[in-house]
Amino acid sequence: MAEKRAHIDDPTALYQLSQESGSLRISLHGRLDARNTAQNWPRLQQQLAGIPASKVDVDATGVEYCDGSGLALLQFLGMGGMTPGATVSVRGLKPEFQKLFESFTPDDYQKFRPRPPPKGHLAEDVGLGVVTALRDVRDQIAFLGAVSTAFVATIGNPRRMRWREVFHVFELAGVNALPIVSLISLLVGLIIAFEAAQPLAQFGAQIFIANMIGLLMVRELGPMMTAIMLAGRSGSAFAAELGTMKVNEELNALETMGLDPVRFLVVQRITAGILLAPLLTIYSMFMGVVGGVIVMLGLGFPLVAIYNQMLTGVSLHDIIVGSTKGIAFGIIVAAVGCLRGLQTKKGPSAVGESTTRAVVSSILLIILADAGFAVVLYFLHS
Amino acid sequence: MSSDSANAIEVKNLKLGYDGKIILQNLNFVVRRGEVFVILGGSGSGKSTLLKHMIGLYPPLEGEIWIGNENLVGASDEKRRQILAQFGVMYQSGALFGSMTVLENVLLPLDTFTELPPAAKEFIALAKLKLVDLAEASAKMPAELSGGMQKRAAIARAMALDPGILFLDEPSAGLDPITSADLDALIRLLACDFGITFVIVTHELPSIYAIADRVIMLDGKSKTIIAEGKPEELRQHAKDTWVRQFFNRESSKN
Repeated sequence: MAEKRAHIDDPTALYQLSQESGSLRISLHGRLDARNTAQNWPRLQQQLAGIPASKVDVDATGVEYCDGSGLALLQFLGMGGMTPGATVSVRGLKPEFQKLFESFTPDDYQKFRPRPPPKGHLAEDVGLGVVTALRDVRDQIAFLGAVSTAFVATIGNPRRMRWREVFHVFELAGVNALPIVSLISLLVGLIIAFEAAQPLAQFGAQIFIANMIGLLMVRELGPMMTAIMLAGRSGSAFAAELGTMKVNEELNALETMGLDPVRFLVVQRITAGILLAPLLTIYSMFMGVVGGVIVMLGLGFPLVAIYNQMLTGVSLHDIIVGSTKGIAFGIIVAAVGCLRGLQTKKGPSAVGESTTRAVVSSILLIILADAGFAVVLYFLHS
Repeated sequence: MSSDSANAIEVKNLKLGYDGKIILQNLNFVVRRGEVFVILGGSGSGKSTLLKHMIGLYPPLEGEIWIGNENLVGASDEKRRQILAQFGVMYQSGALFGSMTVLENVLLPLDTFTELPPAAKEFIALAKLKLVDLAEASAKMPAELSGGMQKRAAIARAMALDPGILFLDEPSAGLDPITSADLDALIRLLACDFGITFVIVTHELPSIYAIADRVIMLDGKSKTIIAEGKPEELRQHAKDTWVRQFFNRESSKN
């Protein structure tokens, strides 16, 4: 009998290969656990690739222990995964492993293997995108209607309004936002005044920093920055809060008790938004102006001169325009936050998705509304 | 060192609690290799707390927890990882990762802790899923599965690395009787054919009679074990009235 042994010099190898007249014999021995199998699998595969054989005999008599990975190796050998085209037989496995070995066969593997999902067609994807966008618009209009009716109903019966909740939201989203609004508005005022000082000095026009900062903070930046901070801080919080309530079925509980979630939760938040946004906006305007004034004082202008110059540029009308924007932005932030919260779907990432959507949609709508204000005010003036 | 290798787990003088409050104390018991060991107790008696300490999520106030020949309490990080690799855990809600498919959930431990080729890992993961009768659902997301399927998938994930011990937290809570009985049968199969040791927290009486080799019963008032033994024996011969009432499902108001 011409027997050829291969690679018996490797102590970590758990297999021996022997060949006799066209038939290849693979004898396995030792512990086929995850670590040993992982070590031996690639080596065995590499070696078998170089040995042509039409008949393979896998002898597992020497296997002392065999876990899932060892069974996978045996099955992989058995299905000819390492010796394509050969007929393979596996034998000699201890009875306690044999049952496990038979519980999952290569046929099962082929049957249950995950297949890549069919790729969508471009037209299909575009159509789906358009339908989703249109549905979103429809939902927003429906939500606007629901909020309006809820507001009318609440005005008709003000005792139904849960004022405690309104004040709670007012405190969380308004009062607690004062530090960050102060810091950012002050710094933005400072930076703009500081940047403008250099070029204006060339024309001897540094006194006009007062006009610029006044108009900029009161009409544009005050309302806009406040709204964006509100969207990031409170719009996202509304979406997360309502989204979590939806995931926990609290919204369903409200509905079965005959309470409309819009009337019970959304109206309070929007009311708080209407109350706090203009106040926060005026505060932001003030802090921005203070920032500009600090720079101008540093440039040597007396406070009285700055004050008088600012009065020539900024009127009460501008402050009213700024605060009105604040109210509009407050409604947008609160309503969009609530809408995205109510739209929360199932699953662990749903609440995160809702908060992201809330912030993105709020900021987009704030900019659009600001553009609308600019156009309307232009025509009102002319 | 733990004296007897027939013991899968040995708990010695364990005292548990937090914030200066003691929840359980004087806990001494062994879990033998290959048995289904059930931790019982009324609501709030600290069953889940005990389980969470046994799997090393929280450090105990005092005492030792031997898993095999290693003490989990005070083990170095490296040692701790070795001990943790010896068991799998199924959490009460399944705790499958929602952003991955069922198959990816089962593959995760294999990808993390083994150097096997991809085909081998896929083969093992599918074999585990077939064992819990979920191979057809391998491409689904956890959110698409029913509660019972999620728990079975969680068992498949816990078994991915072929641990010798499985901890199950309330496996049959919230399941219908048939699904619950299927799960019991699966546990029995795994214990008998695979020799896996089970530590299970539950208070489903039918389940306890169907699967438990031995139980311990915790009590919230005395903060320790008030009964230990086979469920049938405790039902008939327990000294404590409350234990007998528990096993006979009688009201305490009688």
